[in-house]
Amino acid sequence: MHSDFIITGMYLVLMFAAGLFFSKNIKNTADYFLAARSAPWFWIMGSIWATNIGFLHGYLAHGGAAYEWGLIQANFEWFQGPFGYILSGIFFIAFYWRSGIFTVPQFLERRYGTGLSTVYSFAWLIIFVVTIAAELYLGAMFLKNILHIPFWPTLFVLAGVVGTYTLMGGLGAAIMMEFVQFVIMMIGTMPLLFILLHFVGGFAGIKNVLLTQWAVSPQYFTVLPDIHHPYGPGPWIILGQCLVVTLGWCAGHQSMVQRNLGARSLYDAKLGYVAAAIPKTLGAFLYIVPMIAAPIVFSQLGIFVEKSDAAYGKLILHLLPQGMLGLFIAGLLSAGLSSISSVLNSSSTMVIKDFYERFLAKGKSDHHYFIAGRIATFGIIAASILLVPIVLKVYLIMWLEQTLLAMVLGPFMGVLLLAIFWRRANTPGSLAGFLTGAAFAIFIQQVLGIKIFFQISWWSFVVTFLVTIVVSLLTAPPKKEKIEGLTWESDFEAMVGEIAEKRAEKTAAKVREIPQRTITRPPWYLNLKYWATAILLVQIVLLFFFG
Amino acid sequence: MEEKKGADPKLIVAIQMLSIGIILLTLGIAVLILSPLRTMASFLRLNSLLSTGGIILVGLAFAIGGYLRLKRVKKK
Repeated sequence: MHSDFIITGMYLVLMFAAGLFFSKNIKNTADYFLAARSAPWFWIMGSIWATNIGFLHGYLAHGGAAYEWGLIQANFEWFQGPFGYILSGIFFIAFYWRSGIFTVPQFLERRYGTGLSTVYSFAWLIIFVVTIAAELYLGAMFLKNILHIPFWPTLFVLAGVVGTYTLMGGLGAAIMMEFVQFVIMMIGTMPLLFILLHFVGGFAGIKNVLLTQWAVSPQYFTVLPDIHHPYGPGPWIILGQCLVVTLGWCAGHQSMVQRNLGARSLYDAKLGYVAAAIPKTLGAFLYIVPMIAAPIVFSQLGIFVEKSDAAYGKLILHLLPQGMLGLFIAGLLSAGLSSISSVLNSSSTMVIKDFYERFLAKGKSDHHYFIAGRIATFGIIAASILLVPIVLKVYLIMWLEQTLLAMVLGPFMGVLLLAIFWRRANTPGSLAGFLTGAAFAIFIQQVLGIKIFFQISWWSFVVTFLVTIVVSLLTAPPKKEKIEGLTWESDFEAMVGEIAEKRAEKTAAKVREIPQRTITRPPWYLNLKYWATAILLVQIVLLFFFG
Repeated sequence: MEEKKGADPKLIVAIQMLSIGIILLTLGIAVLILSPLRTMASFLRLNSLLSTGGIILVGLAFAIGGYLRLKRVKKK
């Protein structure tokens, strides 16, 4: 245990020092909020995956759900995640790039005006602060249980480390640390799978024990179960979760999108997003498949697990030797810290770009906004720490996060799809659609008693879509010059092909004043279409065997 | 308003690569030194060596790559 403590401490010190060292090179808001637009595609790949995996959405919560419900939890990794990454990478990112924005609400503002973007920013800021508080709480709780160290000092150390490197280095430091965390999670925590499979006699061994000896339902080994499944009915996973929630998350979550906006070219942004589907698929082998074997291990070792969220921690604590346990703690901390830093950086960007610069301090110098960004980062981490005592009631926080996400993601997908694919969608229509969709999400949850998150998202998406169309048709169409370059163009090839990329680079360069680069055809092994096709084929094979 | 000139993107990537390499290398070596490899069961030892070795190798590659890039950027 002593050596594990040293490894964990050393890891935190290294991150702190590297963040401070990196911050010396940050000079203006583009450096701070968009990492000087320097990130190559593999940075984006690692960073997006690490952003997506946290304590809430990864090892502890997803692993815990897999322990309880089985392979259905892998639908995030083997079906919807890669689908969302590839679709967002190929279609949506180009629109954000072309409009030369810092935040997703800025795109909504250019397309629909201030009203909707302000509502959207505000909703996400609440979700972000709640998420940071929940991640800090889970991280400190995890270290307390494993290393037996006090809760509050641990929480302050975690907040101090992640807060310092994000506050000082901005997106560049966050991306850098996320890549470190990506490597540690991918290489450092993968051995658990092999150790467990060795312990229980392979995947066939797990199936044999659970299906024949324990008489577990065969649905425990299905990624897309039938419609009567109490946790995740298959058709609803496809409709609500995949088409609305995951796609909305990938195309509308500021942390996910901001990493792409920090790319050195549009092609790097697109390829990075598509390539992130590879670690996403492998993620199931880090925390889903091991947790399916966990009940057998616990029963053989006589370990009692009171809460499914605690299952992963107990598993590594009882199975791994010293040193290796330290590396796993570093891996799990990586998951939490990467999520916190990305959300922290994104929320400060939104505070400055969507509120401060727009309403409070227009036309100030770039240096002014740069300093304000650092102050905003500090304010957000401080607000999140203050929220932790409330987060101590974890169920309340999970309920709040899920309710807010259901309120935001369904309506967002409704207005985003219409923004891009229907020129006639206008400001009054989008605002009426978004607010009605959000209100409808609350109504069906609170009054009709629908509790499944992705059913709520689906219906709020449908309502938003319809209301936006009706109100837009009843009011004046948007001016042509106002929406130029922000909507789908008739020529499909022009949009996704090289012509569009050249045009996008040109537009982005004008808006952001970055030097224009010559676009060269990428080598065959970096061809976006090959990567997307290969990844989709892997998903089909996985669904064929486990669907 | 006069704006500060931004950082050189190539310098940023070089520093990021070097920092990533140093962190991974240091962490990997620390885990290797602090792990009681002799007392581990052989399967655990193999897994521990593979994962730690992998992290050290990636760290080494990034540290060397970052150092070379940094030298090249500073020369210009």
